[in-house]
Amino acid sequence: MTETENAIQAGRAPALRPSRRTARRRETRPRARAASFVLVRVTGLALTVLVLGHFALTHIVHDVADTNSTFVARRWGSALWVAWDGLMLASAIAHGAAGVWIAIDDYTPDPVKRGRRRAVLLSLSGLALALGTIAIAAAEW
Amino acid sequence: MTVSQGLFLIGFSLVLLAVVIFAAIVLRDAARMGSSANVTRSFFRRLRRPSAERAELDRWAFYAHRLSGFAVFAFLLLHIVDISLFSLSRARYDDVHKLYGSVVLRCFECGLLFAILFHAFNGLRLLSIDLVNLRIETSRRLLLAAVTLTIAGGAAGSVVILKPLFA
Repeated sequence: MTETENAIQAGRAPALRPSRRTARRRETRPRARAASFVLVRVTGLALTVLVLGHFALTHIVHDVADTNSTFVARRWGSALWVAWDGLMLASAIAHGAAGVWIAIDDYTPDPVKRGRRRAVLLSLSGLALALGTIAIAAAEW
Repeated sequence: MTVSQGLFLIGFSLVLLAVVIFAAIVLRDAARMGSSANVTRSFFRRLRRPSAERAELDRWAFYAHRLSGFAVFAFLLLHIVDISLFSLSRARYDDVHKLYGSVVLRCFECGLLFAILFHAFNGLRLLSIDLVNLRIETSRRLLLAAVTLTIAGGAAGSVVILKPLFA
């Protein structure tokens, strides 16, 4: 018997969609979920300034063809831009990874597949974070 | 074309492929949840309802938000790799960076701008719904504002980005 039929027989209202989402909700830890909720919103707010500013500077104020290595070297010579780019890197990776994590949860009911996709997401995000940090740090020395 | 440029273009194709696959997953799930939009006469009739009754607008905003976020994140991973070439060798960075001025990449940058703008404005709308507990009509009006700002800002930015191609 399906979950819906069980519910009807027991006199309960059947869950609207008993398949994927209920399976996910049982597993999620509420504290981690709340932390991720706050993280996404705080980084998101910061990114509206950081990313839109970055895009405006490299595509609108300057033409993208002119933002060559000389441009990058000059910009990373200033502590303000190093801080800007470092903050943008950390926020964007955290925001993006948290967002895709939720999308993976939504679309992957199979726990084995979900674990695999999470691992891919975390390794790609970690790799990008490390690479970006090294690039910004190396420009300083 | 140099080896670095070839590798970048392979990475770029993988980013586009990932976005297409993700879009297919989102749309398939949308259809499964009964959100597929069949473009029939009743569809246009439904669009004429007052915005407070148009719950599908929130769903569409959700799908657009998710898809634009994924696309920007996928590109970000590639972008970090090409930026980090700077610390490896400046010549190699310049070599790959030249591609950003090409026709294909400039068109992509316009799409990226639209995605970033929509994600940012709609994200601010979601944040304000969380913080101020807005009425449903107000949140729909803000969605309309977010879409308008995206189209206006995206179109204006695209003109600036594409202009060197016609110079």
